[in-house]
Amino acid sequence: MKIAVIGAGGMGRIHAEAHRSNLAVRLAGIVDADPAAAARLASDTGARPYPTLESLLEAEQPDVVDICLPTPLHKAYVLKAAAFGKHVICEKPLAGSIADAEEMIEACEKAGVRLFVGHVLRFFPEYAKARDVIVSEALGQIATVRTERVSAAPTGRDGWYADYAKSGGVLLDLLIHDFDWLRWTFGEIERVYARSVAAARPDHAFVSLRFASGVIGYASGSWAYPEGFATRLEVAGQGGILSLDSEEAATNRNLLRAAEAGRPSVQVPGSPLFKSPYEEELAHFVACLADGTEPVVTARDALEALRVSLAAIRSAATGEAVTLSSCEGRQGIA
Amino acid sequence: MKPKIALLGAAHGHMYSYAAALRRLGADITGVADESEPRGREAAARLGTSWARDAQTLLASDADAVIICAENSGHAAFAEEAAQAGKHMLCEKPLADSAEGAARIVRAAREAGVKLMTAFPCRFHPAAAAMKRDAKAGVWGELLAIQGANRGTMPSGWFVDRTLSGGGAIIDHTVHVVDLMRWIMPGAEVKEVYAEKGTRMHDLAVEDCGLLVLSFDNGVIASLDPSWSRTASYPTWGDVKLELVGTAGVGRVDLFRQNLVLHEDRTMRTSWKNWGSDMDLGLVAEFIGCIREDRPPAVTGEDGQRALLVALAAYESAASGQPARVAAP
Repeated sequence: MKIAVIGAGGMGRIHAEAHRSNLAVRLAGIVDADPAAAARLASDTGARPYPTLESLLEAEQPDVVDICLPTPLHKAYVLKAAAFGKHVICEKPLAGSIADAEEMIEACEKAGVRLFVGHVLRFFPEYAKARDVIVSEALGQIATVRTERVSAAPTGRDGWYADYAKSGGVLLDLLIHDFDWLRWTFGEIERVYARSVAAARPDHAFVSLRFASGVIGYASGSWAYPEGFATRLEVAGQGGILSLDSEEAATNRNLLRAAEAGRPSVQVPGSPLFKSPYEEELAHFVACLADGTEPVVTARDALEALRVSLAAIRSAATGEAVTLSSCEGRQGIA
Repeated sequence: MKPKIALLGAAHGHMYSYAAALRRLGADITGVADESEPRGREAAARLGTSWARDAQTLLASDADAVIICAENSGHAAFAEEAAQAGKHMLCEKPLADSAEGAARIVRAAREAGVKLMTAFPCRFHPAAAAMKRDAKAGVWGELLAIQGANRGTMPSGWFVDRTLSGGGAIIDHTVHVVDLMRWIMPGAEVKEVYAEKGTRMHDLAVEDCGLLVLSFDNGVIASLDPSWSRTASYPTWGDVKLELVGTAGVGRVDLFRQNLVLHEDRTMRTSWKNWGSDMDLGLVAEFIGCIREDRPPAVTGEDGQRALLVALAAYESAASGQPARVAAP
């Protein structure tokens, strides 16, 4: 299967390298408007660089277009790929509005191409295992679930994440990971209430979630941490408590003396796996393409996770609790 | 002169911890008043003091002060009696089961000119004191957001009888963390509260889980998990945790982190044995100190009243499905 990666930023690199590690895939090229970025990633992954999607499609005839661009560009590229009859892998969030996401899903359906959305959290073994434990009812009836996802503010090309009208801030770009996992694990969310400090950078947000099942959920997201990245999860039920803290799962820690290490004295904890969650996710999408099966996370799931983020954004803006069913149409980031 | 303290109400188990602190500090316990004879007699026996059915007997004595550990609904009546008798008061949290009850207590103390302290022991934990110092020094820059959690095991008994407690996990646990938040941001008050509540852990007539999102009048946002969500197999009773997010960085505070981890074959359980400082001792020492030095207590009745009003607004929000304004005291 020939896959082209669109976007040679941080996520494009992760995807290109993951595809390269998959024997069923031939990396068919890298597209980036910045020729130097495209050339660098192409050279590192043994693929050819292209300045535009059109030039790549003509030269390489890929089966799949893997879109790793900033959110506001997703729609145009998904529609273009579908128009050319290419299957699509698109990074999360699928889009910045419900209407755009629906249009993208419909365009792919009409064109007869598959659309996979990179909700990679489902492929993190700790989150997959946590879900297994919960659905096995080991904890009995669930009362509360809390998720936290905290990091320094991402920069990205031209600092696009910092423009919340484009990225949606932590409520969209970061917390959509947890919203998707929460829906997958606990079912539909009925109501959200959110508060965020997006106006006063760096962004930090709290979200209250009420599930149709009655479970009380909470998600905290931060780009206000000075460094690092951490995720935390706690689920409390009648029969027990499950918790997860990425910092406590670090298997390797290097504590380096600044002068000798030739860099600032930082601790970089690692928690290595045979296959990264991105490799697992992309290999799963490729396998679904090969045998026509439904993926673990569908484009409709991506749409519903987006609805939770947009409801949270609206709640943070209006100061009112928002019912999910009221979030539709042009409802978007701004 | 040894301070003399009367104990009014033996409903709350903290009374035993406060009594132990009184003894360590060299204070005299003049007796225990409790309308329940078995409960009162048991407390008196355990503490080596006398029992009285009503407070008047103890209040007529030369006691300097009282500690009120009745059910939440009984705080106000005891406080009014004690204030009229000119006794200083340390009152268990929440200050009362209702806004009216809290207002009665604060008014009684003010009119009688006696000291009123709310029992918020967390302020006296050394980790909380360190957090307060960090807040004062501005180590996190300008504060933007605070995440709070105070989870625990379900306390049962009168705690789950709304007529005696005023509610479940929300009224029980919200006040501790709201007080810590108000304390580290002097002058800031919670303006609005959004809350979800549920009864999902136990078969109760009050809520045992919930989630609050708070908006302070200084622009800081906060969240708070007050659930009775620690189950029997959990290694400890619960927690008090805060994450402080500011423009210069993040602080994480976990008051009950100082633990030995014990894996015990005898019980087939893993438990945490806390070796941290006794915050109740700090609380009671402050109460005695404010009387001795004739100064306002570090935690006032108004502090207890403000925290309670936040919890009451949470109930209002949970009922309406929309955020609720916090009432003025």
